[in-house]
Amino acid sequence: MTTHFARQTLIDPRPAPVAAIASPIRWRRALFPTPAMGVLSLLLLVLFALFGWRFFEWAVLHAHWFGNSSEACPGDVGACWAFVTARWKPWLVGNYPSDQLWRAWTCFATFALFWTWVVRRSRTASLQRVLLGFIVLPAAFFLLLIGGGPLPVVSPSLSGGLLLTLVVTLATFATALPLGLCLALGRRSRLPLVRWLSGVFVEGMRAVPLLAVLFIAATLLPMFLPYGLALDLFWRAVVAFALFNAAMAAEVFRGGLQSVGRGQIEAATTVGLSDFATLRLIVLPQAVTAVVPALVNIMIAVIKETTLLSVIGVSDLLGAVENGAKSPAWIGESNILISGYVFLAAVYLTVCYGLSRYSRRLEARR
Amino acid sequence: MTTMSPATPDENATIARMQGINKWYGGFHALRDIELHVASGERVVICGPSGSGKSTLVRTVNLLEPFQQGRLQVCGVDVGPDEITRAARRAINRRVGMVFQQFNLFPHMTVLQNLTVGPVWGGGGARGAVHELANHYLERVGLVDQAHKFPAQLSGGQQQRVAIARALCTRPELILFDEPTASLDPEMVNEVLQTMESLAGEGMTMMVVTHEMEFARRVADRVIFMDQGQLIEIAAPDDFFDRPQSPRLKTFLGQVLTH
Repeated sequence: MTTHFARQTLIDPRPAPVAAIASPIRWRRALFPTPAMGVLSLLLLVLFALFGWRFFEWAVLHAHWFGNSSEACPGDVGACWAFVTARWKPWLVGNYPSDQLWRAWTCFATFALFWTWVVRRSRTASLQRVLLGFIVLPAAFFLLLIGGGPLPVVSPSLSGGLLLTLVVTLATFATALPLGLCLALGRRSRLPLVRWLSGVFVEGMRAVPLLAVLFIAATLLPMFLPYGLALDLFWRAVVAFALFNAAMAAEVFRGGLQSVGRGQIEAATTVGLSDFATLRLIVLPQAVTAVVPALVNIMIAVIKETTLLSVIGVSDLLGAVENGAKSPAWIGESNILISGYVFLAAVYLTVCYGLSRYSRRLEARR
Repeated sequence: MTTMSPATPDENATIARMQGINKWYGGFHALRDIELHVASGERVVICGPSGSGKSTLVRTVNLLEPFQQGRLQVCGVDVGPDEITRAARRAINRRVGMVFQQFNLFPHMTVLQNLTVGPVWGGGGARGAVHELANHYLERVGLVDQAHKFPAQLSGGQQQRVAIARALCTRPELILFDEPTASLDPEMVNEVLQTMESLAGEGMTMMVVTHEMEFARRVADRVIFMDQGQLIEIAAPDDFFDRPQSPRLKTFLGQVLTH
């Protein structure tokens, strides 16, 4: 008997066997693996069915769909979608002049198209696309919406609702990202004063609630501005958002910068790159691509934070809905305001869920 | 250096000289009274147990590591411990190339971009000329067909050959190798060693930290044994391996060479 084995012919690769278990059986195994788990599954299914049915009844079966005033929605057993169908346009664009509305629609459409395009990005061009999406695109939208040159100027205080949310989000991003990057670099600076000031700013901003920052900007900021330079409430809010989120972005960028290894910087030094060239060509491209998912998460947060604007009296989507429910025609049943809130939630859900899916895909790609 | 004895012709061709170099990491004395000069065209191999200061020594040559005492002269740049500025570091790094244990290729750039980024953005070379040069060196290491791939798509051995080509592309007067084969799979070690050997054959000045004793014997002009931050023994390969004098080196060779 010998223990020496030598293979004579190599084995060709074969395809893996196709799952032989029928799907009803797989479902049963997934939902009811043990009696206790089965009970839990059943309980959750029942709860889901119960609440789902109640919501369905309220939102569909007993809903009132059309009408021009609260009289269209008698009683409060069903949703009052009439409120939404009658007033959705000012909620989306505010008081934006109706002959210039194409500008607003262009922005919404480009925004949606851009994110679908960027999802199918290739590995190599990512940095350019990131810059495009987070800085160039917002700046272009901003110019288009506010106008100037051949386009008539539209005061930003005229935009409201979802358009305002978009404008504030983009303005915040176009300013907060560069500022955040500067702060993150500042915290790594060789100069102690720069390092210290950046640190104080970032830690300070992160320790204060955004609502407080907004109130401070709305009430206190005018006192610090030079005499004669008055910012309207909208701009003051944008400044607050930009500063607050710059601190958030700074922390994200700091993580990204730290993720670039020391070896990369050493290698860049040994091929003769200056410190600045190393930063621009070696460190930043790697750091920024590493944090894109986190930046998208900040963007989602900013979009949701814009609802705080209604608290300081800027009419964002939330403010527009609430104002609508206060208008004479719609005063009445409580289901009117609730229906508005549900619509609002649905709008935010669509936008933010889309972005968060995008962020997931980016994470999965690496 | 004008205060010392007149330079012999041999000394004129000195590429690197370390005089009384001392370095501490905190309280740890990492390099102790290092006296070493490397002549143009010379191949020096440095070996020793881990933690003996070999890597620190070569990383001091291009100022990746600062030192606290002594003088360092590399390719005409002369620095003391208080003169380690960014300008000095750049001046040295323009003339000295380095190959790392972990390759340290730029993962977001293609192979070709890895080679050209230094000469174009750091050395002010014309893009066309640098591309030509890069292709020349890629051919030299046998990877010209991989020029447009990303580092992650290459094997470890190929990555290290790209790193060598990248170092060559800056037209260095001296190349430092810091354990270039230590993180490679065994079957890829030889392709890298062969590349280095053919470089040596062309008269490139090299300082190599390695555990590849066969390579040292074949290629080195001098082999240096380091231990505890000191140069213990410096000799031609034959003497070094066949007639070691210090007991510490005898023990080391006994452990390394018995297979």
